[in-house]
Amino acid sequence: MTVVYIAIAAALLALTVWNLWTERDWRKQCTAAMVAVPLLLRVLMIK
Amino acid sequence: MIERHHASAAAVCAVALAAAAVAAASFSAHRAPDVLVPGAGVTEVRMLSDWFPGLDGTPGDTEVYVLRGAEPGGSMLVLGGTHPNEPAGYVAAALLVEDARVARGALYVVPRANASGFTHNDPQEGAPTGFSFPLPDGSTRTFTYGSRATNPVHQWPDPEVYIHASSGQSLSGNETRNLNRAYPGREDGTLTERVAYGITRLIVGEGIDVTVDLHEASPEYPVVDAMVAHERAMPLASNTVLGLELQGIGMSLEPSPKNLRGLSHRELGDATDTLAVLFESCNPSQGRLRGRTDEALVVEGKDPYYLRAAALGRLYVPFDEGGVPLAERVGRHLASIAELAFSMGMESEDEGLELSGVPGYDEISELGVGAFLSPAPEAGS
Repeated sequence: MTVVYIAIAAALLALTVWNLWTERDWRKQCTAAMVAVPLLLRVLMIK
Repeated sequence: MIERHHASAAAVCAVALAAAAVAAASFSAHRAPDVLVPGAGVTEVRMLSDWFPGLDGTPGDTEVYVLRGAEPGGSMLVLGGTHPNEPAGYVAAALLVEDARVARGALYVVPRANASGFTHNDPQEGAPTGFSFPLPDGSTRTFTYGSRATNPVHQWPDPEVYIHASSGQSLSGNETRNLNRAYPGREDGTLTERVAYGITRLIVGEGIDVTVDLHEASPEYPVVDAMVAHERAMPLASNTVLGLELQGIGMSLEPSPKNLRGLSHRELGDATDTLAVLFESCNPSQGRLRGRTDEALVVEGKDPYYLRAAALGRLYVPFDEGGVPLAERVGRHLASIAELAFSMGMESEDEGLELSGVPGYDEISELGVGAFLSPAPEAGS
């Protein structure tokens, strides 16, 4: 079950980074970055 | 030529990665275990996995310090750090490891019962990651302030509803990581259930006579400065509370509820022959009414909002400008353990446990915890 949840978090992280990269408004890019940080820490199983 | 929004995206990504790196370093540093300095009374240092190999190599495995006397007698298991955000239990167990001597019987001490819970702390609580005590030689000893529950990195995801395995009781999903809702544990369960199972195996394997689980509670919680006892442990606990009263240490005595399952005083008393009790001291740093939560609050126990709540009659313990210092709470746990050991000898001479070297309530309240800690060994020594 843990592996499935890590895979979901990784997919969400990838979509968030894709959204950050294609977004034209820098404020929304910042919002995406703030979402990506905890996702990255969870995918790496740090927090 | 690179598009303008891609340039800003790259810059934002770089900042995010830097923030993630700083956060990762901080979270990783929290995982380093504290150094405890076993005293001359410690005869063996074992691991919980010695009793339940299923914990070997997991973040749930933890040290079990054995203090065995020269003469046979009774045995007591002390669990500190079941909830690593309740520091008095952890520090009291650490002081037993560093200072206690056993002449008769055997004392088993697990300072970090939920070792995983020490590797993180609770989000949105603003709690410090640690707290320190100055020692007489000018050095300091630092202890980790952790979370009430197992690290979700070690046990994830939480279910919507936590169902206690042996009773079927339903609790909130995050209680699945609460060691004191997991007893008697399961051999093939979650990490938390396996830790509980390991402790149960230790009790059965060593024939532990008395098990003490050290906790703290918020000042506004009714079960505070209290001893909770399984019905079989009630005579022993009654003697202990009377002995503490004679020393001027007020402790209430509460029966273990039969319909509140998974707790150490209920399940260990039901599933094994041990006499199971739990102590609660008053911890202002975990209550809902507290203000700024920093190391000073953890150590000194002073809080202006609790002072106001006390004036309004909302607390179950006396609370004045002096607060409830950690030293007093540790002293309360240690005095209770010493009195419990004394009472074991009153119940049955064969089951006596003779302890010495345990700091007394008055001296630790006056001199502070640091006076009874050993200096940490130099790195590499």
